[in-house]
Amino acid sequence: MKALYAARNLVRRYGERVALRLDAFDIARGEAVAVTGANGAGKTTLLRLLAFLDEPDEGSIEFFGEPALEPRRQATLLLQEPYLFKRTVFENVAFGLRARHQTRELASKVSDALSVVGLEPRAFAQRQWFELSGGEIKRVALAARLVLAPLALLLDEPTANLDTASAEAVQQAVRVAKGRGAAVIVASHDRDWLGGLFDREIVLGGAGRN
Amino acid sequence: MNYLADGFVQAFALLAAADAETFAAVLASLKTTALALTAAAALGIPAGFALGYGRFPGRRALRLVSDTLLAFPTVLIGLLVYAFVSRRGPLGEFGLLFTITGMAIGSAILAMPIAVSLTAQAVESLDPRVRDTAVTLGAGGWRVALTCLTETRYQVMLAMVAAFGRVITEVGIAMMLGGNIKWETRTITTAIALETGKGDFARGIALGFVLLAIAFAVNGMLVALRRRAAR
Repeated sequence: MKALYAARNLVRRYGERVALRLDAFDIARGEAVAVTGANGAGKTTLLRLLAFLDEPDEGSIEFFGEPALEPRRQATLLLQEPYLFKRTVFENVAFGLRARHQTRELASKVSDALSVVGLEPRAFAQRQWFELSGGEIKRVALAARLVLAPLALLLDEPTANLDTASAEAVQQAVRVAKGRGAAVIVASHDRDWLGGLFDREIVLGGAGRN
Repeated sequence: MNYLADGFVQAFALLAAADAETFAAVLASLKTTALALTAAAALGIPAGFALGYGRFPGRRALRLVSDTLLAFPTVLIGLLVYAFVSRRGPLGEFGLLFTITGMAIGSAILAMPIAVSLTAQAVESLDPRVRDTAVTLGAGGWRVALTCLTETRYQVMLAMVAAFGRVITEVGIAMMLGGNIKWETRTITTAIALETGKGDFARGIALGFVLLAIAFAVNGMLVALRRRAAR
């Protein structure tokens, strides 16, 4: 499989503290990779780098997506505590497509994405952001990423504080994204949930001081 | 104490009879405030957003100036604008002194720092996840900025409601720039000052009631907006 990401000698520091130190890895399209490690090992830092929300202090990340598009538009990150805009569920899920001016069949795309995460579109599309439970917020946020059909779907602790039904919905979403050829990269502590879903594991050790 | 009770009774009679002079003052107040807030919003919200969102040299100094201007005394604003719009002033030829527009200019200067500072504050204290989320969903620079502004919309409205309350209740600017001309630039507050001076408590109290009712409505909006903003 052709590499989507090729990362070399990544170092990210916050002040004196080295938050992440990682030699080299490739991630291919359609591959599901679990990122594990203790708290503070740099899982979130790595995902932010792979989502191009942040840049490494040393080393490089090459991204072999569609050359005509910004990498930031092809890799998308679900934050550990996702944020929903103060709008309806529909507008939250449609946000990224509107940003790309891909408004054709918007309603049906949004409905499909909501269905994948196990939210009945007719019941949820017009709900306001404050009418949702924690699990529903996470699922809506996940739908907002899935609807973009990203080349890389990055999930930061997607099952933290989730009930079983929501955790299963996230699992389903991972399968769908992988089936569509996306690289799915998940940071998680939840070994049971990671289970047989992933092809490979990147274990982060404490980067320590430097 | 009788004159007080009489004042209240007459006040209700004036309001019930829709007394023309009373309502002319209410209308003058509302016109001035509407004009002033439109100008303050049109200039102050973008400026406040730029101050809160942007990163450019001199930003902190400008924030400090804007915060300091929050305590600008209204008589001083009145004096400064008077100097500009009076017949001998640089803007004298436009005949703005003792007009609604003249009062609105002063009031806009009063409202501007409120719009600027509170908008900037709202944007600065915005959840950092807003930016991350917009970026990771593929928004470009302008859309990210616009999203940050729309996410603070309740706080921005709150700022404008606060500015409304400040402008409609002030006396100094209205007195100095409006001149308290009956049927024209006599506002609720200048009318109260005048009527009380003349010993006509009834009209003063009637106008006071209107002002209180407006303040009450504004406060109701503030509470509702705060609740929304906190979500």
